[in-house]
Amino acid sequence: MKGMLFPKNLIILACFIPLLSHAQLSLGIEGGVNKNYLSTSGIQQAFTSYTGAYGAQVAIPVSYRLKNWLSVQSSISYVQKNYNIVRTGFFEGIHQNNKNNYIQVPLMAHFSFGGKKMRGFLNLGGYGAYWVSATVQGTEPNILNPVDSSFTTSQQPVNDFSLSKPYSFNEKYTFDSRKDCRWEWGLLAGVGLSYQLSQSVVMYVEGRFTQSLTDQQKNYMINQVGRYNQTYAVLAGAMVPVKIFCKKKAKKE
Amino acid sequence: MKKRIQRFILLTSASAMLFFSACKKEISTPNPPSSYTGSNFNDLFDAFWNGMNNNYVFWDIDTTNWDRVYNQYKPIFANLNIYSDNDVRSSVNYFRQMVAGLIDGHYNITFPKSQLLSDSSIDPAFDRKRNTPGYHDPIPLGYFFFDLPKIFLDSGYVEGVDSTHTARLAVAVSGTINHNILYFYFNTFELQALYLTPGSAVQAVIKNFISSISPISPSVKGIILDLRGNGGGDVNDLDFLVGRMIDKPLKFGYTRAKNGQGRLDYSPWAPAIVTPQPGSSAISIPIIVIADNFSASLSEITTLAIKTLPNGKFLGETTWGANGPLAPNVYFNGGQFTAGTILTLSVFTSSTMFKYINDQIYEGKGIPPDVAVPDNLNSLKRGIDLQVAQAVSLINQ
Repeated sequence: MKGMLFPKNLIILACFIPLLSHAQLSLGIEGGVNKNYLSTSGIQQAFTSYTGAYGAQVAIPVSYRLKNWLSVQSSISYVQKNYNIVRTGFFEGIHQNNKNNYIQVPLMAHFSFGGKKMRGFLNLGGYGAYWVSATVQGTEPNILNPVDSSFTTSQQPVNDFSLSKPYSFNEKYTFDSRKDCRWEWGLLAGVGLSYQLSQSVVMYVEGRFTQSLTDQQKNYMINQVGRYNQTYAVLAGAMVPVKIFCKKKAKKE
Repeated sequence: MKKRIQRFILLTSASAMLFFSACKKEISTPNPPSSYTGSNFNDLFDAFWNGMNNNYVFWDIDTTNWDRVYNQYKPIFANLNIYSDNDVRSSVNYFRQMVAGLIDGHYNITFPKSQLLSDSSIDPAFDRKRNTPGYHDPIPLGYFFFDLPKIFLDSGYVEGVDSTHTARLAVAVSGTINHNILYFYFNTFELQALYLTPGSAVQAVIKNFISSISPISPSVKGIILDLRGNGGGDVNDLDFLVGRMIDKPLKFGYTRAKNGQGRLDYSPWAPAIVTPQPGSSAISIPIIVIADNFSASLSEITTLAIKTLPNGKFLGETTWGANGPLAPNVYFNGGQFTAGTILTLSVFTSSTMFKYINDQIYEGKGIPPDVAVPDNLNSLKRGIDLQVAQAVSLINQ
């Protein structure tokens, strides 16, 4: 029930802002999948690479139309920015999947063009995000849980787990205030198609790229290797003009 | 009008793309210490400093300000000449100062025998100990082999020395005290290897002790494991020895390794577990570990594993404080490395960090004993071993 209060309040608030009372303000819902990459350099670590990972994102977008072809758009979004650390070769099987949850607020210029029903659009802007929580899941070799037979057998080890038993974990990540930079700022760009489903409902699909400009770590050591989130998302959503909600509310009152 | 809008959109998107690419920061690629040429001291300093920066596992709890070390010593090394013998000798003192405060009890830097500094080594933990009030030398190996058995052990004890099958001299003694307390001394954890080595003089000693605990006779009242002066060894010995005294897995602590190049990048804590050996049964009689200031590494890990048992107790004095298990760098992407070519530094350091089940990290501090009975070399010279005497008394209580 609590979750319902937020959009309702937002609508009521929008209805009472005089500046927007006669403007083209729209509200919607949006969701999709993304693939995030941690742009960094792990070259010094043997048989180790950082790979992209899929995540989900949902948002409540708000759009304010300035011109027929130009709107200002924002949203409150929940975005997963996941990535994996994977070891290969003799160390095959050792991995850590990092699932990072962000609350993100983008601010975009929304350029649209095309026909009445079907229109193309381009979103350009920036965003601010806060790293709310994270989990780490994976498998690592456990040095103080050795494979006892590794010593007594003449069979050569096939991988690292022939020497140390694997330890599988799935736990909440504890932020380190000395290292973790939880605020993130960046740029985004998206292209998509929208379709006027009815007089009041516009559906759209969008491909969006976000590039963090802030390191995921605070500047806490000399020769630090930066880590930047790069997220590619495919989104679908629907927008409706806020005046619809305002009218309904007025009728009720 | 429409065309103008389209042109505007195109221009905006093109400039946005340019803006994006301009804003994306360059990510520097760190090089492993072995990749530096080490052709001059400036390069050698970078190799060593970065090697430590990325591979040292204790940055989370170490109080050494490594950035300050960089700022202080980088200009000094830049002024040294690697072809000057005096400068090479001076560099050892600078390296020693740089690492003086590191808490890793295993840490040392050595130089190849062929080089000018073949006699030099840097061992910050040992340097600190030597300068601590009350510091004493280790108990000589000969005491355990020649004197102790005659003072305490019943006739029929076995002892052995092996210098051919192990990297360092192995000494072991097994026997009984008052015919009802098992006593086992060994100076290095190479038990399983020697147990499986026919012809080793120590094999019979290990077999004697192992056969006396599996199964254990009902007449035995207690066990004394004497780890004084034992510097550790092979991690598999933990299961080989303690795994014969339990019948279910024993969780006694945690380890974690580096999982990134940042100083504070760590993997999750993995539980440290002793696995019972096939056919083992739980020993419920008192097990007393005697350890001292020279008991290090796997000795300390074994002490903590025994201490975790309800019938386990640690008697002696605070141990060395080198608890982090080791493996070659490639296994955990951290720990030991080498730097330099003209002057080569071999850095020996832990690959993983250990914490006891009570969340205490004893690295650099040592494990405090449950029953404090310090080494007393003067008493030993007079044939009085207060630590063994106290262990016997505890078992007989």
